[in-house]
Amino acid sequence: MQKMHGFMRPKAHGRVIFCAGSGFVPIRRSAQRLRHNRRMDWQAARVSLLLAVLTAALLLPPGVAVARWLALTSWRGKPLAEALLMLPLLLPPTVVGFYLLLLFGQASIIGAWLAAHSSVRLVFSFDGLLLASLLINLPFMVQPIQRTFAAIPHSLREAAWVCGLGRWRTFTRIELPLAWPGLVSGVALTAAHTLGEFGVVLMVGGSIPGQTRTLSIAIFDRVQAFDLHAAHVMALALVLCSVVAVALVFAADRRRPLQER
Amino acid sequence: MATLQVQVRNATPMELDASFECAAGEVVALVGPSGSGKTSLLRAIAGLLKSRTLRGRVAIGDDVWFDSERGVELAPQQRRAGLVFQHYALFPHLTAAENVAIARRGAGASPIAEVFRRLGLAGLEHRRPAHLSGGQQQRVALARALAGEPKVLLLDEPFSAVDAPSRQTLYHELAALRQTLSTPMVLVTHDLAEARRLADRVVIVDRGHSLQSGSPAHVFASPRNARVAELVGIQNHFEGTFHKQEPGWGRLDWGRDGLSLRVIDKNRLPDGCAVTWVIAGEGVDLAREAGGETNALRCEIVEQLALGETSLCTLRPVALPGERVTLNPATSHLRLLAAQVGGSLWLRIAPEAIHIMPVKALEPGQAT
Repeated sequence: MQKMHGFMRPKAHGRVIFCAGSGFVPIRRSAQRLRHNRRMDWQAARVSLLLAVLTAALLLPPGVAVARWLALTSWRGKPLAEALLMLPLLLPPTVVGFYLLLLFGQASIIGAWLAAHSSVRLVFSFDGLLLASLLINLPFMVQPIQRTFAAIPHSLREAAWVCGLGRWRTFTRIELPLAWPGLVSGVALTAAHTLGEFGVVLMVGGSIPGQTRTLSIAIFDRVQAFDLHAAHVMALALVLCSVVAVALVFAADRRRPLQER
Repeated sequence: MATLQVQVRNATPMELDASFECAAGEVVALVGPSGSGKTSLLRAIAGLLKSRTLRGRVAIGDDVWFDSERGVELAPQQRRAGLVFQHYALFPHLTAAENVAIARRGAGASPIAEVFRRLGLAGLEHRRPAHLSGGQQQRVALARALAGEPKVLLLDEPFSAVDAPSRQTLYHELAALRQTLSTPMVLVTHDLAEARRLADRVVIVDRGHSLQSGSPAHVFASPRNARVAELVGIQNHFEGTFHKQEPGWGRLDWGRDGLSLRVIDKNRLPDGCAVTWVIAGEGVDLAREAGGETNALRCEIVEQLALGETSLCTLRPVALPGERVTLNPATSHLRLLAAQVGGSLWLRIAPEAIHIMPVKALEPGQAT
């Protein structure tokens, strides 16, 4: 019998008492699953990491474009657009996951079209997971970048134009360097959020090992299997990622060139 | 080098109707209160004023930057205007040298080190703007504006963000710069003293309209209308009626009960015309005796405040108790006259010091 925490006592043939704050919850599990203890689920770590990196990388360019557009323009429907963009932050992840599942499923127009014209499946696949991840992370990427773009005084852009810099060079030489703390924040928040996302991943991706089982799903699985040690290891890895991400965000914010005045 | 010609009209968001010229090597100051449209005019020259209602023409010699009739509108990048922004707008993430280097066009520009040495910035090349003083930032902004070898140099309230001692140094530097620079220079300021000090010509701007232009001395001595007089800070402006007399001379009736002043008739106003008039510049004197002068008014001293070398002295003409004349005589002069509040003095106004304008302002945009 593996090392267990004091609050969890296995009884003969899988009947255990799980002590969780308010009371005792009996959970039935087979003893066999208990014996399949692993520490780090490297397959899940790989899926999580790949998902986080791809989400951050793919979302950065459109994120910058949308953020800059929202920061520099003002139009009638803008508050509504901004509210829609924020929606994934406020909706329960399972709700978002549920609707994405419906949207990606073969009963939907998108799903039906994909089924008819390609081999791409969006439900219970890594592609679908990535697409869902891109959609729900939009506010995490856009918000911090939008704030830094909005903080750039317009006179700096005008100064660049008068100095002879075209729009693109003004963007690359002046705006991007000044907005980079926002970019760092956006990437770090997106990556950290992707690593930690649970509800949407479970709804859209399920828990297919090597495909859609991410670290947070693996933690859930391990806890379900009473493998608390493995859950701890993976949970700590995620905590570490989050701490690094938050530290990056704060470090970037402190080194914001625009605050040096 | 060519003359800058500006003639712009705009409806929204800022109403503009202004025209002026600035010759090569000349400094023209656009002077007016805050929100009068001076900066908008500068932005229109630089191509930064975005407005669908903008009409007119901005050209430097044969080089047309904007011509609404011919559909010409060059982008700011194509205009070759050096602009020093009010708060400099230096790029905060670049060093002083990089700020200047980014604006350089062509290979003919002098090395950065040389430019920095000339502007007294040697050794500061690698500092970021946040680590430069206001005066140093201003000089870097000037260096950046000049780095693109501009055809016109535009300065937007360049001295407003520096302290008084730095300002004095910068005035000197601007004066020195003029010796070496042959581009037209347009300076925006709300400070009349600054305009008088730095500019060859001033253009008085109010609510987007150029009201009058000319040498500072001329504009201050002969404001075109009451608004200009007010804007250039002439305290003494009054109402009256102008009557023609023998050729070259006129009579100004001040007040209903007939205080008459002898004035010069420039043949611009009809007989019996209601006028606004100002006592402009010098040509005004305080004395104990009337002294046989043409326009000598006996006045009572209502207020006398010593302000260091000069004093603020408010007088009430005995014949017109409702009026007040404010002067800033030398404190020592008042002491010599033993002037005291409640006492009386003679105010002697030379006919040349009285400047007469029709009450109704001329149509704006007709600055001469």
